[in-house]
Formats: sequence, structure tokens, C-alpha cells
Amino acid sequence: MRDLSLHLMDILQNSIAAKASKISVFIYTDTVQDELRIVVEDNGMGMEPEQLDLVADPFATSRSSREVGLGIPLFKASAERASGCLTIESMKGKGTIVTATFKISHIDRLPLGNVAETMVHVILSNPQLEVELTLHDSRDGSFHFSSAYINEMLGEVSISDYEIITWIRDYIDEGIKSNFGGVLNEIDY
Amino acid sequence: MKVKEFAEKLELKRLTGESGLDKEITGVYACDLLSWVMSHAVKGNIWITVITNINIVAVAVLTEVSCIIVPEGLKVENVTIKKAQQQGIAILSSSMDTYGICCRAYTLLGK
Ligand SMILES: Nc1ncnc2c1ncn2[C@@H]1O[C@H](COP(=O)(O)OP(=O)(O)O)[C@@H](O)[C@H]1O
Ligand SMILES: [Mg+2]
Repeated sequence: MRDLSLHLMDILQNSIAAKASKISVFIYTDTVQDELRIVVEDNGMGMEPEQLDLVADPFATSRSSREVGLGIPLFKASAERASGCLTIESMKGKGTIVTATFKISHIDRLPLGNVAETMVHVILSNPQLEVELTLHDSRDGSFHFSSAYINEMLGEVSISDYEIITWIRDYIDEGIKSNFGGVLNEIDY
Repeated sequence: MKVKEFAEKLELKRLTGESGLDKEITGVYACDLLSWVMSHAVKGNIWITVITNINIVAVAVLTEVSCIIVPEGLKVENVTIKKAQQQGIAILSSSMDTYGICCRAYTLLGK
């Protein structure tokens, strides 16, 4: 995969497939540790310990449509290629936390890509889902987006409205720029 | 052959304008794992990659490849293009895939 937002999409699809009603995404950068951390937390069906052990094996998918699942193995490979790692914590019936870390300055670290588009896509195709995005850099400041909060503010208006979606996309883009501009070399700020 | 002539023959789009077109081509290298390219691409090679982030410019400067070609009409980020122009690196884009570009290069450059 060419960028992290595509990996993120895959991980979010896993949470949706696990019937999560709420998904929280955290993206942190720490310039001192030279680390980028992406965390996806869901309240879906979770996994049994045996299943969790096998999840990084591409032939261990629970899909019935095909025999290989590559979402997690590829994300793990991308993290490890950039001196990072991928860990998964999961509890059956409670939910799952997927954490991937990357050495920011590693030459093979993939760029963030279009995180706003990934979030918007997930919101549009799952209007009932509660989606949160938190961005934070160690220097200071942070950014928070919550679809539940937006829904509350909107009242009768749908979050899928063209104007609202456009606003969300720009808002997230701005958040990415203001938190990660000057930290991640791919961000044009 | 110079990058400029190669670009004309393959009808490549010059994403970085006039920058880096004067370099002499010595061969072709195709790989997307940047750390691998750093230690294996040879000076003067045309380098074909689907990676488009700013790191490709750093790798091109380090290895002294003659230019970068992105296949399959991929978009390249503005930060990457700006940096390449500053560094005098040509980034060219093709609608062909990597294999297609290699085949055309073979007929033009041999071995
Ligand atoms: N968030 C999650 N909650 C519950 N199970 C999950 C979650 N993420 C992954 N899994 C389990 O791990 C398997 C492998 O996931 P993945 O590598 O993305 O491949 P795929 O989604 O194609 O099956 C899934 O089939 C599913 O059983
Ligand atoms: Mg998956």
C-alpha cells in the first residue's frame, strides 16, 4: 500500500465488519522519540486469544468470501519496514485496539496520505457509526473530531449532506496540516 | 541518450518542467522499497517507482539516478515536485505500467 490512509481504511473496515458502533482513531507524532503512532480503537465483537494469535497470518482470515486476509499483515509489514511495530489488543465482546508505530524519519515510512478522505468515506458509507479522530503532536496542540458531536449540532440535518461532508473534509485537512506540518515531511503547510 | 530525448520518445509527461532533462541515461532500475533502491540503483539509471512521497527525491539525489518515472499515470504530490525542481531532478509520468516502460526502454537503450 502506498500510504497510511489506505491502511487505515482497511483497519476501519475490520472494525465495521466486527459490528462496532463506535470507532476512535488517534494519530500521534512525537518528534523527540521520532515516532508516529496510529491507534484504532473499536467496541466491536473483539477476538478470542487464539484468533488474536493468528491475525497477522494472511491465511487466517474469518472472511468467507476469500481465503486470504491481508489488511493486518500488510499494515504490520509497513510498520516494521519503518522500524516500528504493530500490536493488537482485543477482548471478545468488548472490542479491539490496533496500534501501529513508525519511525518518522525512516526512508521507507509511508506518507500519511489522505486521512480526511478515508474518514469521510467511512462516515458516508456508515451514517449510524460514531467516528472520532484525534490528532496530536508532542510539541503542543491537538485536534479532535467527533461525528456524534456533529450529529448533535446538526439536529435534523444529515451528516451526509454535501456541504457538511465538504466542511468535515476541510476541517480534518486543516487539523492534519496544523498538527503535523513541519513534523511529517510529506505535509504541505 | 539524455533524459530529454528519452522523455520525448516515450511521450512522458514532465511533471517538473525543464528540471534535470540534461542528464545522461545509463540503464533502468525498477523498485519501490526505497531503502533497497538506495543501495542498489546505479548512477545514471532511470528509476521507475510507484512511490511518490518526498523521500523519492532524497533517494534520487543520493543515488544520482538520471530521473524518476512514475508509471500508470500516478499523481505526484506538490511537495515532492517542488523539492525535485529545487534539486534538479526530473520526475516524469507515464500511462504505461512498469513492465511497459521497461520494454520500451529496452528497445531504445538495449541490454
Ligand atoms: N477490529 C477487529 N475486530 C474483530 N476482529 C477483527 C478485527 N480486525 C481484524 N479482525 C479479525 O482478523 C481477521 C484478519 O483481518 P485482516 O487481516 O484485515 O483480513 P480480512 O479483513 O481480509 O479478513 C479478520 O477476518 C477478523 O476475523
Ligand atoms: Mg481487513
